[in-house]
Order: sequence, then C-alpha cells, then structure tokens
Amino acid sequence: MAERLKAILPSVLSVLLALAVCWALIAFTMTSGTATDAYLQMLWGGIGNWPSFLDGAAATVLTRPLGESAMKAALLTLTGLSVAVAFKVGLFNIGAQGQMILGALAAAVVGAQLSLPSALHVPAALLGAALAGAAWAGLAALLKLYRGVHEVISTIMLNWVAVSLVDNWLVIGPLRGVAEAGQSITGTAEIQATAVLPRLLGDLSRLNLGFPLALLLALAVWAWLARTRPGFETRAVGLGAEAARAAGVPVARRTGVAMALAGALAGLAGAVLVLGTEGRYPGTLGAPYGFDGIAIALIGNNHPLGATVAALFFGVLRAGGTRMQLLGVHKSFPELIQGLALLFVAGRMVWLAVLRRRQASPGSGPAPAAVTPSTEAPRV
Amino acid sequence: MSDVLHALLFSTLDAAPALVFAALGAVLSERAGVVAVGVEGMMRVGAFCAAVAALAMPTPLAVGVGMLAGAALAAVHGFLTIRWRSDQVVSGIALNLVALAGGTFLLESLYGPNGTPPIQQLSRWELPGLASVPVLGALSGHSAPTYLALVLPFAFQFLLARTPLGLRLRAVGDKPHAVATLGLSVAGLRWGAVLGGGLLAGLGGAVLSTAVLDRFEQHTPAGLGFMALAAMVFGRWTPVGAFLAAAFFAFGNALRIGLVSSAPGLLELVPQGVLLALPYMLTLTLLTLQGQRSSAPAALGTPYEQESR
Repeated sequence: MAERLKAILPSVLSVLLALAVCWALIAFTMTSGTATDAYLQMLWGGIGNWPSFLDGAAATVLTRPLGESAMKAALLTLTGLSVAVAFKVGLFNIGAQGQMILGALAAAVVGAQLSLPSALHVPAALLGAALAGAAWAGLAALLKLYRGVHEVISTIMLNWVAVSLVDNWLVIGPLRGVAEAGQSITGTAEIQATAVLPRLLGDLSRLNLGFPLALLLALAVWAWLARTRPGFETRAVGLGAEAARAAGVPVARRTGVAMALAGALAGLAGAVLVLGTEGRYPGTLGAPYGFDGIAIALIGNNHPLGATVAALFFGVLRAGGTRMQLLGVHKSFPELIQGLALLFVAGRMVWLAVLRRRQASPGSGPAPAAVTPSTEAPRV
Repeated sequence: MSDVLHALLFSTLDAAPALVFAALGAVLSERAGVVAVGVEGMMRVGAFCAAVAALAMPTPLAVGVGMLAGAALAAVHGFLTIRWRSDQVVSGIALNLVALAGGTFLLESLYGPNGTPPIQQLSRWELPGLASVPVLGALSGHSAPTYLALVLPFAFQFLLARTPLGLRLRAVGDKPHAVATLGLSVAGLRWGAVLGGGLLAGLGGAVLSTAVLDRFEQHTPAGLGFMALAAMVFGRWTPVGAFLAAAFFAFGNALRIGLVSSAPGLLELVPQGVLLALPYMLTLTLLTLQGQRSSAPAALGTPYEQESR
C-alpha cells in the first residue's frame, strides 16, 4: 500500500501545486478575492451548486453541472486511456487527436447515413468510430514496425493530415450537411435520432451513455492489462522489447494490437462527442481532447484507473471553467492548470529532490539518497 | 505570367521566415540530441511577448524580447531534460499545453479576445535597382527577417558541417559519450543548442506578430511549429535541407492561397484540404521510403548519463 501511495503522491502534489500557481496567477492579474471566487465558481460549476441546493433550490443545480462534468470526463477518460495503452507497449501516442477526428467523422457518417433500429444503430456508429481510429493509429504502428519510423513524428504528421483532410475538405465539401429551409449549417448532416446516445437522466442533465461507457472501458482496459496473458505480454514489450522477444512474446503483434486499441479508444472519444453532444461532426472538433489525453495519462501515472481519476478531476474543472467567465477569467483556464500539472509531473524529480534535501538537512540523518532517474518519467 | 510569379514569390518570401527560423531552431536542438516538440509553444511565447513588448518599445527591440521569451521556455525544457533527465517529449508537450492555455489566459485578461492592440510593424526595405526587375523584383520590399532567413540557414550549415563547434554539436547528438571522453561538457553543449533553438523559435514567433501580422492573434502560431518539425524531418535534420523544405511548404501555402482567390475552379479538382495535408503526407512518405536509414541523430531523445553505455 505504501508503494502505491508513493506512486500516486507526485501526481497529487503536482495537481495541487498547479492549482496554487494558477490561483496566484489570477490573484496577480486581478485580485486575490477574485481568484478565490473564480475557484469557487469553478467548483460549483463542476460538482453542482451545493450551497444553493441546500438552501432549497431545485435538483437541477446539481444534476446539470454534474452532467456536464461527466461528459467532459468521458472524453478525457477515453483519450487518456488511448495514450496510456500506447505507453504500456512503449509507444508515445501523440496522435490521439487525429484518431479522435477520424472516429468522430466515422460516427457522424454512420449515424447520419444508415437507417437502423436504435439497438443496432448506436453500436454500429461506435464500432465504426473505433475501427476508424484503430486504422489511423494502425498506420503509425505499421510505419514503426516495418519501416522504423518513430511514432512521435508519424503521429504528429497524421494528426495534421487528419485535420486538413477532415476539417478542411470532407466536412466542408463532400460530406457537408444539406441545409434545410434556408438554415445554414456547419459540419456534416445531423445524425438520426436512433444513433443518439440515450440520456440517462432525461431532462435533468445532459448526462448520456458515454460516461458509463468510458468508465466501463477503463475497467476493461485495466483488467486486460493486469489480468490477462496478452495484457501481460503487452506490458512486457513496453518494459523491454528485446527481453520480451527472447521470452517468446510476439512483439510485433502486441505492439500492433495495443496501438490499434489506443486508436479505437480515441476514436470512441470522437463518437461520444458526436453521438452524445454535438449530433453531427461540427465545423471543427473544438477543444483538442486528444492532446489533453497525453496530460491525463501522464498525470494518472499511465495507469488506466489513474487516468480515469485524473479525467474525472479535470472533467469537473473543465466543466466548471465556463462559470469562471462570470468573473472575467477565460474558460480555458482549467487547461492551463492541466498543462502546468503535466509540467510539474514531468519535472517531479526536481521538487522531490528539493523536498528530500530539506528533510535531510535539519537532522543528522543519512545524506540524501541519490536521485534515481529510472523512476522518473513514464517509460516512453 | 511574370506578374503571377512575382506575387507568388513575394508572398512566399513574406510568409517563409517564421517557418524557416523555427525549423532551424528545431534542427539545432535535435542535432544536439534534444527533442524539439516544444517549438510550437516557444513560437507562441515569442509571438506574444514580442507583440506586448512592441506596445512599449521600438519593434526591432521587441523582436529581441520575443527571442528571449522563446529562450526562456527553452530554458525550462533544458532544465527538465538536461539537468534532470526528464522525458524530452513529455516536457515539450507540457510546454506546448502551458503556452497554449497561458497565452489565451493572459491575452484575455489583459487585452480581450480580439488580440493585442495593433503595433508598428517591422519596416520594409526597398532594394534600389532590384524593384523594377521582373520576378526577381519580388526580393525587394520585405522586412529584415526575410533577408536573415535567406542567409542564416547557410551560416548554420557551415557551422554544423565545417567548424569544430559544429562537429561537437553533431557528436553530442550522435554519441555523447565520445564527446565526454574528449573532456567536453555534454550538458554544456546541449544547453547551448537548446537555448539557441529557443532563441530561433522565439524569433519565428516574433516574426509572426511583428512582420506577418501587426498584433498577437489568439491562435498564433496555429500549428506552424509542428510544420517546422515536418520541415526539419523532410530536410533530413540539416539546416539547408530544413530551409528548402520550409521554403517549399511556404510556397505551397502561397500557391494555395493564390488559387483560392484567383482560380476557384482548380480547387474543385484538388480540394484545399488535400493541399493543406500535402506537407505532412510528403514528410510521412519520405520517412517511409527512408525506413531504418532515417537521418535522425542517433542519440535523439536519450538523456545523457555518464554511467550508461
């Protein structure tokens, strides 16, 4: 247990440090009172306005914000899982954004073009998205396995290919929705009612099936990695491909499957966005959830469940961030907290060493242990 | 015909410098073995600080401020990756995210959503005698960064290929232990390359807000940093190669913009999105063809540890 706590602690401290630094940033540009108010707004906007609920307001003051948080958290969970799974096999998936774009497009096309009963339509759209994302990630895996192209470069390039082809061609060209009755619409045609992810609480909030789906997938990915033979082999490849090969692990297959799974997860994030919230592929996907996934995975210590916890936390902050605008703080502020938290996670050896030195200096205890870089950043 | 060529060449020369500087910065850093995914963030910081500084001081000085800002972000990268051997890609991505969100936050809280107030652009130089020559006349009438961008890549090529310092920089990216054996400081050389890369990326960003535009616009640099990475890879990690790739990408961009306004019919044959994707697809194709013989520095992305082999 102490081991586990030690693994979690740096991430928690990084997030707290980021929260403190960002509070100071608002206090510096505005006033400290505004900073505290903005944080409170972010909290109430994320977990629901409990004070006014306890004063007798309707339950929607809780369910609406919580629903928004859950939706954001679902997207972050899926992209975070995508990056985490790739890490486990030793690949750095910077391409979650591109895979998500492809997935969103596939979901929008299947959702709009096919006519199926609801029980089949939603799974078909989800499957299409997963396959599209997996194919896009599979390209990077193939390039890596057979041509030795580093996945960091290839996924960055594939991201921009996806943005250019989808946002700047397909969505405004061949796949553009037909405007009805003089309305001008951006994006693809609206998906059919049978493809919409069902809402769980009716009119109380926008919470939809995407959230439980994301949580379920997180559990499944964790179980696959921790409890099955292919999952174990996948981790073995990530820890040392040569050793794994010597032990008889089919390295190429494990790498390909893990990367395809990573792509499928990112593709599903696109599907949840399109089928759950947007109802079509919008002009652009908006927030770069794929890049956020990198932060979520690393803050979550590359553990499927850790990434889920990080996604829940930042889902709350991101949903609450819109409320900060009431105080003149831009709604992207939680993204700054998230970015700084990632920076602190990346540099955690620095301040862990500082803390250790401080602990060691007052007493006559042993000299501070040498910093071991092997426990440093997640293996890439 | 020569009018069209003139216009194309002119807008290429206007737009290319930002990409060229950023690509050079990436080459410098990566040749010394430090991954440069953070170029996008460094450009953004450079663009923002240059635009803000230009409100208070002459624009050329403000460009210097932008360069320093890029170097400051690079210093964080160096501190984390050289001093503390953190993962270079993680650190770069984190800096990108911080620069993206931090830039938006500061812009909104200081100036509102429409960008900084307009500033005095860098002055344009008319080259006497050249302006009237057909086509070549497009060389005249640009601001200083354009001319610098035409010279600097060759200076860097000379530095890397022909000087002792260049040899050391390349060696530190290929085989740092060999450099250490000579009694040279691996960390020192890498620090120099990373800070130099930051200065150049900052310059690239500063050019965007002082020469291409006249303010810091919210989405700057809108992926140009990643295109610089593509140019670096496409140019096989050499300064002149990266320069040619960057110029080629910039020319393609100018051509695309020109086509949108002058020949919309052609765009129905080749959609704009395909043209936008072209630089990245070309880079991917090149990498695929090169395969294992990729020209990337051998020790790229590996933190240097004296004890390791």
